[in-house]
Amino acid sequence: STTWHPPPEVTRIMVNHRVEKAKRECVVWAIALLSSGTVVSADSFGRVQFWDWQQGTLAESHTVSSSAALSLAVSEKEDSIVVGTSTGATYQLQLLPVKLGGLEKRWVRTKPFQYHSHDVRAVAHSPSALISGGTTLVIRPLMEKVQKKGYDAVLRKFTFPHRRLVSCARKARLLLFQFSQHLELWRLGSTEETGKDGEVLPLCRMPEHLVQLKSKGPEHIYCSCVSPCGTWLGYSTASRFHLYRVRCDGDGVSLRKVPKVPKLLPPAYQLQFSADSDSLFVASARGSVHVLQLLEPGGCKLLHIACGCSEAVYLLAPSADGHWLAAVSGDWAIHVYNLKCFKHHCVVPTYNCAVSALAIHPSTNNLVIAYSDQQLVEFSIPEKQYTGWSRALQSRGLHRAWLERDSPITHITFNPKNPAHILLHDTYLLCVLDKSLPLPDDSTLLMNQSTLKQLPETARKRQLHAFKICKKFQPLLFMDLLDENCLVVVERPIMDFKTQLPMPVQQKKFGT
Amino acid sequence: LTCPVVCNFETHEYIAVHDDKVLRIWKNEDINLDKAFKATLSADVYRIHSLPNGGPVVLFKGGGVRTLDVLLEAPQQEIENVISDEVIRYIPVLILLSAFTAFCSFWMFFCHILSKFFSTKTHCERGFFFLSGSNDSVYQVLIPLQQDTEEEEAEKEEEILSRSLLLNLSVSGSVLKGTSLVVLDKDHVAVLGSLAAPGKEPRECLTIWNTKFQTLQTSKELPLGTTGQLWCYEEKFFLTHGKVLTVIMYKCETSSLAAAVGKLKDSQTPGKNLFYNYSEKILAVLKPVPCVSELHSICLFQDASTYVLESELRQLMAKAPTPDLQATIGCVVTALTDRCKTNPKYYPKNFLLQIVETRDLSYSLCPDLMAVALEKKDVQLLQICLQRFPDIPEEITYACLEAFLSISEAHLQSEDVNLDSVICYIDVEFDNKEVKTEIVENGFNAEMDQDMCDTKIPKKTQSRSDGESCPVGPQKAALLNAVLHSAYTETFLLPHLKNLPAQQAILFLRYLYYLYVKCSEKVNTTLPGIRSPTINQIMDWMCLLLDAHFTVIVMLPEAKELLASLHKFVRAQVRFYSELNKIEGSLQELQRLNHLRDSQTYSIEVLEII
Repeated sequence: STTWHPPPEVTRIMVNHRVEKAKRECVVWAIALLSSGTVVSADSFGRVQFWDWQQGTLAESHTVSSSAALSLAVSEKEDSIVVGTSTGATYQLQLLPVKLGGLEKRWVRTKPFQYHSHDVRAVAHSPSALISGGTTLVIRPLMEKVQKKGYDAVLRKFTFPHRRLVSCARKARLLLFQFSQHLELWRLGSTEETGKDGEVLPLCRMPEHLVQLKSKGPEHIYCSCVSPCGTWLGYSTASRFHLYRVRCDGDGVSLRKVPKVPKLLPPAYQLQFSADSDSLFVASARGSVHVLQLLEPGGCKLLHIACGCSEAVYLLAPSADGHWLAAVSGDWAIHVYNLKCFKHHCVVPTYNCAVSALAIHPSTNNLVIAYSDQQLVEFSIPEKQYTGWSRALQSRGLHRAWLERDSPITHITFNPKNPAHILLHDTYLLCVLDKSLPLPDDSTLLMNQSTLKQLPETARKRQLHAFKICKKFQPLLFMDLLDENCLVVVERPIMDFKTQLPMPVQQKKFGT
Repeated sequence: LTCPVVCNFETHEYIAVHDDKVLRIWKNEDINLDKAFKATLSADVYRIHSLPNGGPVVLFKGGGVRTLDVLLEAPQQEIENVISDEVIRYIPVLILLSAFTAFCSFWMFFCHILSKFFSTKTHCERGFFFLSGSNDSVYQVLIPLQQDTEEEEAEKEEEILSRSLLLNLSVSGSVLKGTSLVVLDKDHVAVLGSLAAPGKEPRECLTIWNTKFQTLQTSKELPLGTTGQLWCYEEKFFLTHGKVLTVIMYKCETSSLAAAVGKLKDSQTPGKNLFYNYSEKILAVLKPVPCVSELHSICLFQDASTYVLESELRQLMAKAPTPDLQATIGCVVTALTDRCKTNPKYYPKNFLLQIVETRDLSYSLCPDLMAVALEKKDVQLLQICLQRFPDIPEEITYACLEAFLSISEAHLQSEDVNLDSVICYIDVEFDNKEVKTEIVENGFNAEMDQDMCDTKIPKKTQSRSDGESCPVGPQKAALLNAVLHSAYTETFLLPHLKNLPAQQAILFLRYLYYLYVKCSEKVNTTLPGIRSPTINQIMDWMCLLLDAHFTVIVMLPEAKELLASLHKFVRAQVRFYSELNKIEGSLQELQRLNHLRDSQTYSIEVLEII
């Protein structure tokens, strides 16, 4: 750890002074302080420099890249540094002995990695991996720190955040898309035809872009939600929470801001409307859940503040009957509240992994929880215990191919017409989990849909198992069930936004 | 190498001897033995022993003993011949008996020789020897083993060691002629030897004796004979029994009189027996030595009525799997197959299927099973055997192949063959053709290469042999896949494969060609489905078949067409892949240019989830 010297003296380090002749100005983008009293700086000239903290003198300078070095992270042992640059490359610097077995050590640029196309804005250094973030997030295991080849030794790449960016008004058939600084509300198109598997049906009504709502100021939108009936819309930025009333009259759509929204302590991490669109749950960063009652024609009042979570609440799941509310806090504890008498009901047994999605079954009030390590559990809220199916699943264990997926389940929903169905999705697959079918073991093919489709009806029965997986839509941003036989799926092709990005660095190339 | 390699725990070096006299020493990081340290000795080495808290000791064939340090100082030093007429038959075993006293650690040398051949210098303070002397008794010889001065040592070499009788190896009149002896702890010794009773055949057996109370604790007969050697490591005996390396676990408890006279049960009876078959290619094959009570039921299997037998079998199958039961089931299967052989009408198909499916049997555990199944043409059982047995001899594999190829498709229709391996790729004539939506990702078009082909091939045969339709039915294909999946050694399989009739060879080749084409349709060149053959298995069998039938295939006119199209296909594949490499480069460039995806941004599609 670093301690500051008692007299608050200021040492000014002129990073620029050695390159005074250069016309460009040098910007220091990142600094780190080592326990030895060395300041490490990363600057726009692509240099990583080591300075004596007290003297302000330059100890070492490494030009790691011809473009700017933007981010910096030091390992806990302070023997390795990862640097992110504006060309998308990351570099590792290691403190190595000058001679083999010698005591004198120097910083040496060891490994370059190129996993990003654009700025690497943030880097982190875990004991066994380098983590870099730009347009995508990449976890690069350090092979010398990984004991054996296996699941942990694999490079991981994440393009989308592991949270919901789309919300769906089931009844009104609207979709709300959350962008960094605006929201878009769309009405889904429809068809009157039916067809066979894989067929594209002609549309009788085109999808309609109803409204675009720009957030004021420079702040990014944290979370947003549209009510199931489609008449309420809320979003929150880092400092403010906004609620709107949506009115569809004929073809036109009007938005009216709800005045006098109760003062909440922002930011809200998650917004969730109740199934009957009568109330709104706001998960706060302070660990409480605010229950707002929505009033006609366009007002709201604070009904209750549910406390109990020690850290920020980041996921909410209300039950369809309005009886229960499950809230996940940053310490991964899941609290269940009784909304009828505004009481804390119970805490789901803690598991040592983050909760990535959860939902309450509309008819059984069973809470289905997906963890970031791909485990699934089902917890009966009325009985305050895991269900028999959940225990069976735990003792049997999930299929290896399921457990080794990269991206966590981000949304869970149910089929109201078939209580045995649980619908889940991550970035690469959507899955109908049919509890009435046997669980697959490792020897069977997990993703067997294409195989099943080739089999005659009679032969399928032997091959069926609980996980019905469809990988047709990738990358999958959102999936919800509108009604019994209508599923809405939102795909976000990576190319769509990659092509919109500017060139990472303007470079002159010969011959171009 | 002429003796086992040992590790010097002090220096973490390894010591080996080759050509009896050449000593090699190397460390972990050394890769090449030829470059390791080398010392040539003056006498033949019998064994090297590594002592956990001392340097290694080298025992020479003449009986002389030197520590490695002494030997390395002067490798060519003269080694005395202590024993002249006797050959060392028993390997001296060194066991650390740390539990004996708190202060001393002892090294025990066991040897058949009663003479004074030890001139060893060890780091132990005191020690003693057990000697299985005149074959029917065990003696204890105490010798001091201090770190002596030179003079004292010289004296000691002259000293005749006193011995005391420790144990008489006699069991109710019969005498145990011990061949090997292992000390288990301070009160127990294990002796491997033959028990000779007057007027009876000598029987080999393993015995455990309590030296304190002079009692035989337990014995185990080894009717198949041993090599007379017994090793002991980590509470397990290792001995050869017949053609099998047998591992017997044991447990010695502190000896008490009650235990010695047998009042305490289960104190040190040999535990589980594990049998490792080392005569076959594959290790960890279990061999049966059933318990006596179960032997009774095995007799039953040979002549009881079907009903009694079935209920008996059900009981047996219901038991929890243990290695013993495993062996018993092997015996049961053998008994059943014996019965099948004597009574041609008798064939408990369902039971055999159930046993093979639920138990991890091996070929060597029930060697006649597959032969009987072949005779009965039970393809279902044969398929499961091929899938489950890891050690099928090539001869049987070949017999299965021939049987599968010769059985008519009509006959196979009625058989319940597991189609898992073919169902995903074979062209089954479905009513609904549109169901097959899989895109041919790597669609090679044979016509593309038409002009390059020198031989004229009638259009009709080409489309047939092109792999467009499978030359065999799905049942036969599934059976052949089971053959393709079984392990084999080329040299052993090839002579059998030569016997395959030409027509069957062509059919098989045609099927292999079909599989190869099917594989090549996929980008990853793997067939979908469970236990479907891999491209390497297909290619290996194809090469093997061509090797075996080259002369025949060249002569047959219909084979010529097949060969020509096969040749053409392979050549086209090679060309195709080289073209792919070029395309890959272009695609990478294109990818950088990032064309906007020309797809519908909104659509309503039908998605069927089964």
